[in-house]
Amino acid sequence: MNTYFKLIVLFLTMTLVSCEDVIDVDVQEGPTRLVIEASLDWEKGTTGNNQIIKLSESTPYFDTTTNTHVTNASVKVTNDDNGQEFIFTHQGNGEYVVTDFEPIINQSYTLEVIHEGETYSANETLTSVVDIDDIYQSTEDGFDDEELEVNIIFTDPEAEENYYLFKFQRQGDLLPILEDGDDEFSNGKEIPWWFEKEEDEDTDEIEAFRPGDIVDISFFGISEAYSNYIGILIEQSEGTGLFSTTPVPLRGNCINTTTPDNYAFGYFRLTQVVKTSYTFQ
Amino acid sequence: MKNLVLVFMLFTAVLSAQENYTVSGIVKEAKNGETAFGASVFLKGTSIGSISNEYGFFSITAPKGTYTLIVSYIGFENIRQEITLDQNQKVNFEMEEKSTQLEEVVILAEESERVSLKKPEMSVSKLNIKTVKQMPVVFGEVDVIKSLQMLPGVTKNGEGSSGFHVRGGAVDQNLVLLDEAIIYNTSHMLGFFSVFNADAIKDIKLYKGGIPARFGGRTSSVLDVRQKDGNSKHFALTGGIGLISSRLAVEGPVFKDKGSFLVAGRSSYVNVFLAAADDDDRVGFYDLNLKTNYKLNDKNKLYLSGYFGRDSFKFGKSFASSYGNASGNLRWNHIFNDRLFSNLSLIYSKYDYDLEITLNEFDWISSINNYNVKYDLKYYASDKFKLDFGVSGIYYDFDPGQVRPTSETSPINPLSLDRKKAFESGLYVNAEHKVTDKLTVQYGLRYSAFSRLGGQAMTDYANNQPVVYNSLLGIYERGTAIGETDYGKSETIKNFGNLEPRASLAYQLNESSSVKAGYSRSAQYIHLLSNTTSVTPLDVWTTSGKFIKPQLSDQYAIGYFRNFNDKKYSLEVEGYYKTTDNRIDYIDGSDLIGTNNIETEILNGEARAYGLELLFRKNEGRFTGWVSYTLSKAEQRTLGGNAGGPGINNGDWYNSAFDRTHDFSITGAYELNDKWTFSSNMVFQTGRPVTYPNGQYQYEGQSIASFAARNSDRLPAYHRLDISATYKPNRKPNNRWKGEWVFGIYNAYGRKNAASISFTQNQDLGINEATRTSIFGMMPAITYNFKF
Repeated sequence: MNTYFKLIVLFLTMTLVSCEDVIDVDVQEGPTRLVIEASLDWEKGTTGNNQIIKLSESTPYFDTTTNTHVTNASVKVTNDDNGQEFIFTHQGNGEYVVTDFEPIINQSYTLEVIHEGETYSANETLTSVVDIDDIYQSTEDGFDDEELEVNIIFTDPEAEENYYLFKFQRQGDLLPILEDGDDEFSNGKEIPWWFEKEEDEDTDEIEAFRPGDIVDISFFGISEAYSNYIGILIEQSEGTGLFSTTPVPLRGNCINTTTPDNYAFGYFRLTQVVKTSYTFQ
Repeated sequence: MKNLVLVFMLFTAVLSAQENYTVSGIVKEAKNGETAFGASVFLKGTSIGSISNEYGFFSITAPKGTYTLIVSYIGFENIRQEITLDQNQKVNFEMEEKSTQLEEVVILAEESERVSLKKPEMSVSKLNIKTVKQMPVVFGEVDVIKSLQMLPGVTKNGEGSSGFHVRGGAVDQNLVLLDEAIIYNTSHMLGFFSVFNADAIKDIKLYKGGIPARFGGRTSSVLDVRQKDGNSKHFALTGGIGLISSRLAVEGPVFKDKGSFLVAGRSSYVNVFLAAADDDDRVGFYDLNLKTNYKLNDKNKLYLSGYFGRDSFKFGKSFASSYGNASGNLRWNHIFNDRLFSNLSLIYSKYDYDLEITLNEFDWISSINNYNVKYDLKYYASDKFKLDFGVSGIYYDFDPGQVRPTSETSPINPLSLDRKKAFESGLYVNAEHKVTDKLTVQYGLRYSAFSRLGGQAMTDYANNQPVVYNSLLGIYERGTAIGETDYGKSETIKNFGNLEPRASLAYQLNESSSVKAGYSRSAQYIHLLSNTTSVTPLDVWTTSGKFIKPQLSDQYAIGYFRNFNDKKYSLEVEGYYKTTDNRIDYIDGSDLIGTNNIETEILNGEARAYGLELLFRKNEGRFTGWVSYTLSKAEQRTLGGNAGGPGINNGDWYNSAFDRTHDFSITGAYELNDKWTFSSNMVFQTGRPVTYPNGQYQYEGQSIASFAARNSDRLPAYHRLDISATYKPNRKPNNRWKGEWVFGIYNAYGRKNAASISFTQNQDLGINEATRTSIFGMMPAITYNFKF
């Protein structure tokens, strides 16, 4: 629902806006923090045994260094019920992997990361996701009547509150696009979710979908807590305009049990995911 | 306090009972019969006098004797009349305009805009519509709200935002009244235009502090806008044709000279161009002002006024929306006797919006309705003592939102948020008391009460905590619902009552200067929910109740006022300090849309603001204008309270979004000759507090910004210059048609003022960028205005 309001506001701003330009701005420099990207995503139809956790450090906002990998941490995930431990080993580039992870729907797990004498910990439950009923392309849905969009149809389970995350990436594009949703206004309904790229007429940087384009789609079932987190993250990464919510320091679920103020960025999530791709005709 | 009032009443009643007689009446403009608000009526050689009220009424009581009575209203010829006070009497005055040649250009500021040294009234800005019309504006459309921003203590949240801020207050803390009806949204097209059509408006008064006891319900300011009554002498036509919009007003006498009417309309016509260009998008607004009055007899007069305004836009086949205010007001002026004036008002007002998302096949409607009864009386006890008193009651019906699917295949379920009903009442008494020739005091008391009415269920929370601090993660989360309490239709969910003392004094130091001081307390029971940087028309109002407390504000002000050179120049210096309790703020990640339980998204905080305001005016001559400067601070703090934890921003004070350290402006008008007048505005303001990133990290293949403490950065300074020229072609003196051309340039040097700065990752290059959005570049405009 928020999305609709944002769209309207976006439209209003567009009507008013006469000028946008990139400028130099001095920003503050916050403390360097550990970044934990512990996304244990169980792709439907696979064993889910292979999992990666990425560790890095935050940098000043306009810094262009990308090599901030954390290579000297120890990483472990524990099944909270049976105590089974999965030790992740460093593979280079700050990536820690296991090959024997056992995903169980609705099972809670605990992450423990030890880095430079400080222990970070997080707890999360693996959330399931429904199947995609149908995928098709159209032009009449979406914002722009003349551009192609992909539609994903799925049926929301009526019994519980559900939270979803979509990740779209056109092959060849540098960055993925994340979108989040829930069933607050659509509980138990068949939900059509469209994704469209809009032409940026000023810069020609963004191009709408063309026949032959392939878009990779991931459809995640996520927990309510993660939905709150990723919702803010997505909103804030879309920019902070006149009608956006005041940005906030975003805290994930990775707490520092040694020095609480030195919490980590990122999140320990456990999801089930449907991955597919669509080729535009 | 109550006892004191009684004692004074008795005291003055006894004094005035002997040997004193009263002269009372109505002051009007001769040309069009409009009642004159703020004309000064006094007895020459004494300090006895009175200022005419909103309905032109005045009353003077003086000892038996013969006097010269003088009526002055700047821009008009003084009236002098010998008067023998040996009995109570009625005299009405009609003021002739000063010069026929300069009939439309009033080079003199209105008397009421000038510094009044004796009145304890302070922190008040009054603008006559003629002054407003002289100022250069964007799109050539005269704009009341923008003109107010040229005065000290009044700012705006930047271009493209609705509303205005007074002395560090929020948009929803302004009580905006159009002929006494509450207006909820003051802007068309997101702040491009104000909802007030200058052709229908008589005058504007903004109380920034020292709010008189007769007003209540908002903590920051009262903007009192009065519509014209309509020409009671002859038919008249006023209008203007601009680039974006046009307007037309018709007025004239009705009911065999017992009354008059005014109908004014305004409409944008961007849509015509869009349609012509075969574009599916639409954007536009219109409004309609109506007023009529009927004089039953010398003691009774009826007024009926109405306003209807609407904005609408449509984006192709994706969605459409419309929103607006509507209000109607029936008033009955009754003069009991030459000392007691009364007014009874029945007021209805409404704000609503409708949003149709064609794309996803549903629509959303939301509205506020309120019904208001007010009875105000003014008693002119003696030349030393005047008393205002009255009662008011407002019934509110809030419909925060209804969602309806518009087709069978819609993915959206129907939803109705709980309607909220409430009743607000007020009772007040206020005295203006001239203690000595030099000292005048004003003191009053308002009692306000608010009941959140039942007829619905309210959620109960574990430990009575709608918001809970998660100390492990260091974030605020929604509380756990454990059930519901049902409130019957005859029950109230919560009741509040507040005593609001108001007091001020003026001490005249000498002929040309005075000091004033004031204190006021005010309570506010309804709140606008907005967690965005700028208020939007789609924000929803909510009431105080079980979880949301009323805002309570205390303001202290002190000022020095001085006239120079025979009132040619004036200087006003004021300092203020204001605190507000129970100012709500929003938890991180709050979701205000479509939720019944607003209490799970907010925390009760506090706010404080202080500042120094300077206003220097030149009131007479070919060149008139003013310089205004404000140095101020506005902050907020939101502690965890019942929810636990340190609170928002770690419980530290943070800048309010409307904090402006410096706010400087110059407004000037120069009358070159009968044909040409030039005017100009210049504004400089410290940038708005905002939150910028203080770091980045990699997540999901993107660079994610981490943000610094709330509002700890600032946008670049805002500054702008506007100029305009008015040309009046040669006219024959007897020609009734009078036209003028107004040429203007808004933002003359094309400053790209940042409305916002957005931080995003470039989709192609992957680097982080700061993107500035600026709304108006240089905007030329041309308008043709006419009168007939």
